[in-house]
Amino acid sequence: MSHLETVSEEFRAIARDAIKASQEAGAQGASARVARVRDVSVQWRDGQIEQVTESTTRGLALSLYVDGRFASVSTSDLRREAIEPFIADAVAMTRTLSEDPFRTLSDPSLYANRPAIDLEFSDPDYGSVTAARRKDLARSIEEAARSVPQASRILSVTTSVSDSRSEVFRVTSNGFEGERVDTSFWLSGSVTVQDDDGRRPEDGDFSGGRFVKDLGDPTPVGVSATQRALARLGSTKAPSKVMTLVLDNRTGGRMVGALLSPLSASSIQQRRSFLEGRAGQIVGSPLLHVIDEPLIPRGFGSRHFDGEGISARRFPIFEDGILRNYYIDTYYGKKLKMAPTTGGTSNLEWRLGPKTQQELIKDAGEGLFVTGFLGGNSNGTTGDFSLGIQGFMIRNGVLAEPVAEMNISGNQLELWKRLVAVGNDPYTYSAMRTPTLVFEGVSFAGV
Amino acid sequence: MNDLSPAPLGPTLGPTYFTAFGVDEKLIREALSAALSQGGDYADLFFQHRVAHNFVLEDGSVNRAFKGTELGVGVRVVKGDQTGYAFTEDLSLESLREAARTAATIAEGAQTFIPARFHVTTGLPSRYPTTRRFDHVRPEEKLPLLTGLNDRTFSMNPAIRKVNITFGDEMSAILIADSSGRIVEDLQPMTLLYLSCVAEKNGEREQNTYGIAARQDMSFYSQDRLDLMVREAVDRTMILFDAVQAPAGEMPVVLGAGASGILLHEAIGHGMEADFNRKGTSIYADKIGKKVAHPFVNIVDEGTAEGARGSINIDDEGNAVGRTNLVEDGVLTTYLHDTISAKHYGVKPTGNGRRESYQYAPLPRMRSTYMQPGPHKKEEIIASVKKGLYCTNFTNGQVQIGAGDFTFYVKNGYLIEDGKLTRPIKDVNIIGNGPKVLEQIDMVADDLTIDQGGWTCGKDGQSVPVSQGIPTVRVASITVGGRSDS
Repeated sequence: MSHLETVSEEFRAIARDAIKASQEAGAQGASARVARVRDVSVQWRDGQIEQVTESTTRGLALSLYVDGRFASVSTSDLRREAIEPFIADAVAMTRTLSEDPFRTLSDPSLYANRPAIDLEFSDPDYGSVTAARRKDLARSIEEAARSVPQASRILSVTTSVSDSRSEVFRVTSNGFEGERVDTSFWLSGSVTVQDDDGRRPEDGDFSGGRFVKDLGDPTPVGVSATQRALARLGSTKAPSKVMTLVLDNRTGGRMVGALLSPLSASSIQQRRSFLEGRAGQIVGSPLLHVIDEPLIPRGFGSRHFDGEGISARRFPIFEDGILRNYYIDTYYGKKLKMAPTTGGTSNLEWRLGPKTQQELIKDAGEGLFVTGFLGGNSNGTTGDFSLGIQGFMIRNGVLAEPVAEMNISGNQLELWKRLVAVGNDPYTYSAMRTPTLVFEGVSFAGV
Repeated sequence: MNDLSPAPLGPTLGPTYFTAFGVDEKLIREALSAALSQGGDYADLFFQHRVAHNFVLEDGSVNRAFKGTELGVGVRVVKGDQTGYAFTEDLSLESLREAARTAATIAEGAQTFIPARFHVTTGLPSRYPTTRRFDHVRPEEKLPLLTGLNDRTFSMNPAIRKVNITFGDEMSAILIADSSGRIVEDLQPMTLLYLSCVAEKNGEREQNTYGIAARQDMSFYSQDRLDLMVREAVDRTMILFDAVQAPAGEMPVVLGAGASGILLHEAIGHGMEADFNRKGTSIYADKIGKKVAHPFVNIVDEGTAEGARGSINIDDEGNAVGRTNLVEDGVLTTYLHDTISAKHYGVKPTGNGRRESYQYAPLPRMRSTYMQPGPHKKEEIIASVKKGLYCTNFTNGQVQIGAGDFTFYVKNGYLIEDGKLTRPIKDVNIIGNGPKVLEQIDMVADDLTIDQGGWTCGKDGQSVPVSQGIPTVRVASITVGGRSDS
């Protein structure tokens, strides 16, 4: 498929006019971003529509560089008579701040060599899903959810069908212009079941993607939602113990995020990173091998350029357990005297292992398969983490009883050195694209 | 000619905050009429104009600011338990009508008629101690607050390496008009101040934060409050260097007065929101009237305390805000209702219908949730524990409404050994099950404190400001997510 949708000229004009107005009000530099997002959704519950919503939101965001000072502002009030005073006020506000020699737009040379690959962000058939079809799909998910054996345990089924289209255009006073149109389409089902002890566990599933046809068949979504909820019945709390952790690919992104956020230049410069000064050093097992890859068609973190306009390129984060790069934006890069890479993650490309999740569980023999996190936190300054979990015990290489109300804790630097296996199953619904991960010697708290 | 419309119950809409945006009674009437064009029990409009500022100090100077303006109106049509919702950021009659017709599709009948005259609710309580609106305070008056705090924090301890301070203020004007002919307006201020510092000692680093928030004007920032802020931020950071890892497993946990109210928010507050109960998806569904805790446990949710972050003059459906008893003498008493759930249960709304902004339909939400004082003393509670934890500061929490499992993350605390506070602890998550933990609260002290932190509650993708509080309590047994030895 090769179809690159563009935004309207009228839409671009709002951003370009805002740059002009900023300059007239006294800004030496400015960047403007206009966005318009349309969201439509149907939520269905127990045989009838619960809520329909349909709306289009729009907004203008501006970054202003005035006499060596910086502010950023946004508004949803796009009336012409409102925008000009808004910008004049914003410039005046910026003038009250302290000078900051590090704050500039990105070097225009970084805007060059923008990749041209079609990343398939949007479906030209957006708008073809009718209200009647949404309702039918929502109803079908519930019917499928209630078709499962043991459906008598079901207390409530909530399903939803939604789609979204967003248009974004960004322009800077030093030569950047970029735009993108995104669409997405989602089905979801959530099921609450009655447990014997009064608890009402809930779980769900979903499907979807950037194209209408990614909506897929509603039946497996409903069936899986009920099966997942039923699997939680009779969950127990296991004794506190050091065990092998098999981390479901669907939920691993939370742990990976805790490893990546201290890689931002702001964390490093503000001395809130346990990874400061560790570039070139071993921070994980040799299996930790991750590339930041912005150019995956339909990837949820894909992009041609980042939020500052820097052209996207592939670069390694971890190679054989060695930290190779930080996420460096223009501002904190200047403070650190480091060349910018990009301010934030795009997609992660993992070096995959040869085995399926089932094989990894079999290899683990004994341990705990974690399918979800509940609350908790990871301290980016020290690497200490403590996270609520739920999942299943692993006994003799197969999943056994469900467990809940438990916790894992440790330190990120120790944890990633205990990564002993990586699955072959990247979770492509997330930009983290995390495969199933296996860690040895993890501290679990329970009874 | 006879006027067939009902007599107005109060003054009709005169000049309001929204007059400047072209909002008048005619616009309101026509929009509501379009909203009920296909029938429906009820419709409302939620106009909002919100202006927010943030000023940030980093590396010694206030070198960045953010300003956001939101203007829009949400249109809701309700039929039974069903909701149609749309919003627009263009307040013209044409746009408003289009949004209203979209929301109207939830119903499939004949036009429901609305009153010809509207009445404005007057005599609202005044819970925001404000003499000067934030949009009338120049940045030059706000900035010295940040630079002053920065200097004092660095001078407090030579180990401090970095200080970050964020000052935020917000004015949100709302106008709610509904198909009963009611119009209510409110102007809701908010301010918050966060101070975060990083310290370094013997090659180790630690970081911690202290924040306060209120619906008040600049007068909130008294010298005493700022003194406390600097002291607490530095003390909470420095003590982490001496902290040990908490143990793992079930043990008694004593929760300090104030911020520990996060336990109530997660363990019972969310589960008592009536939407989950109406749907049968809360672990507290069908439990009203049942004994859930010791008789000295009383838990309330209210929005009336002057200046509190969780206080509001009216809720986001225009309903009066008072006090709701969740648990009285250990018995589960009342759910937190919005208009839809109140109608479902045949009770009066409790003033808990809240929303993040005009972009969202309201939901039952907490305001300020706390436990009333009990019969015990803090000292006797700590002395009663042979081996356990005493927790004082928290960063975040979460709950599974149906299963009842919840967590809260402890940033600072102490080990209790033989009835005494001994070594400090840090960074540990605590996990329990709501109804089980309520039963386990077996001592409640007389030192109720409402925390002034900038707590924000998230539900269904919507954030709203809340408060919480609690006296010192003992939870006889709960799982502490520390490190196990083997």
